[in-house]
Amino acid sequence: MSTERLVDCDVHVLVEGNEDFLDYVDPGQREWFRGQGRTFGLPGYTWTHPASWFRADLEPAEGGYPASCVENVLREAVEPTGTDLAVLNPDDAITVSLMGSSYRAAAFARAHNDWLRDQWLARDPRLRGSILVPAQDPLAAAEEIRRCAEDERFVQVLMVGGSERPYGDPRYLPIFEAAAKTGLVVAIHSGGEGLGIAAPPGGAGMPTFYIEWHTIGSSGSIAAHLVSLVCHGVFERFPGLRVVLLEGGVAWLPGILWRLDTNWRALRTEVPWLERRPSEVVREHIRFTTQPLEHTDGNDELLWRMLEAAGAPEILLFASDYPHWDFDEPGHTLGRLPAEWRPKVRWENAAAVYGARLGLVPA
Amino acid sequence: MSGWHEIGSVAELEREGRVVARIGGRELGVVRDPRTGELHGLRNRCPHSGAPICFGSIVERAVGAPGRYATTGRRVLRCPWHGWEYDLETGRCVDDPRMRVAVYPVRVEAGRVFVEA
Repeated sequence: MSTERLVDCDVHVLVEGNEDFLDYVDPGQREWFRGQGRTFGLPGYTWTHPASWFRADLEPAEGGYPASCVENVLREAVEPTGTDLAVLNPDDAITVSLMGSSYRAAAFARAHNDWLRDQWLARDPRLRGSILVPAQDPLAAAEEIRRCAEDERFVQVLMVGGSERPYGDPRYLPIFEAAAKTGLVVAIHSGGEGLGIAAPPGGAGMPTFYIEWHTIGSSGSIAAHLVSLVCHGVFERFPGLRVVLLEGGVAWLPGILWRLDTNWRALRTEVPWLERRPSEVVREHIRFTTQPLEHTDGNDELLWRMLEAAGAPEILLFASDYPHWDFDEPGHTLGRLPAEWRPKVRWENAAAVYGARLGLVPA
Repeated sequence: MSGWHEIGSVAELEREGRVVARIGGRELGVVRDPRTGELHGLRNRCPHSGAPICFGSIVERAVGAPGRYATTGRRVLRCPWHGWEYDLETGRCVDDPRMRVAVYPVRVEAGRVFVEA
């Protein structure tokens, strides 16, 4: 039955522990990456989960990491949940855009995209891919988007929450232009705030604890990118562009949109190209993944009403965030939602925003 | 009580940019566009949060394309508190047409300013 379909918009795959990844790196840079060890020179976090980033029940693959081989991901994330399509996103590799060297970053991104295509997308028809790009060099990123876009199994361009400036800044326009021209969604996944060349998370300086980052760092960057993209008029420049914001939470969204609409009426002379209320632009162009869907201490009905004011259920896409510790199990998470929301969140909204590249036709 | 009401003098209007008067429980006003000299009658109360809107500024409505600023010549009244902008002919908030300030005809006679409200 069509209503039983399930699209998981955030399944992570780990390049760490995959020695064969180096085969995909430009030969001129291979030794540098080999010399960086198991994390390939990606910037590291100054705070870490006190126990593990990952669900403790998962089986590590040969290289020692979970979610680092296709067999494990299919067995643990796709088959038990009956997932029809899984959008694969890099794990720590999303922080490629925060490496100090844009040349290393471009080489890493190219290699990751080729590795993902050969070792994952080619191995199972239920898998879709994200194009990793070096955002610190937007022209190189745009070139990489155009190179990978020919393969229809790539459904989106992936950027990271941590950034030098919010993504509405005109320096990033080549990325959004390339995505819009090739019919690719641009996804922005929380992570990397304060790492490498990224600005500190939260606006008050570097946090001490992972719990601080996980509360405000990951949601703050996502909110900041949303506001920036709207204010800079990126969607006025590229009317066909769609953005998916991943793993930044959703409970803050109504409040931010109310603030933004109110401020727009008062301050629109700064951004006079915004002819519509910002919240209308967001409803049309931006989607949000559910995980981590905030626990509400018994106030779920209040959350649903607030999200409806922000455009739910049409703006929501299901995501599990496998293999992380804060994974949302689809049966449990979808069961929390109002029954009439479930088909849209399970797959219909994803089918609509990702279009032909996802390959599902909405009912 | 509908009819023509005296609000103030032309001299004050030209000096201050607006005149206001309380008429039958409502505060009515007339604002003068400093560039064009046009007069506009309206209720002195912003429907957003109650500001004395006649003390706002008549400014040019900004427009543009992303990254480019342009002007249109369209004049709007900007509220003195939160900056919401109102069409001077219809009284509607340009960015939220559900919001509207009442507008009234204006007449000048023998140095005095009247509105019909």
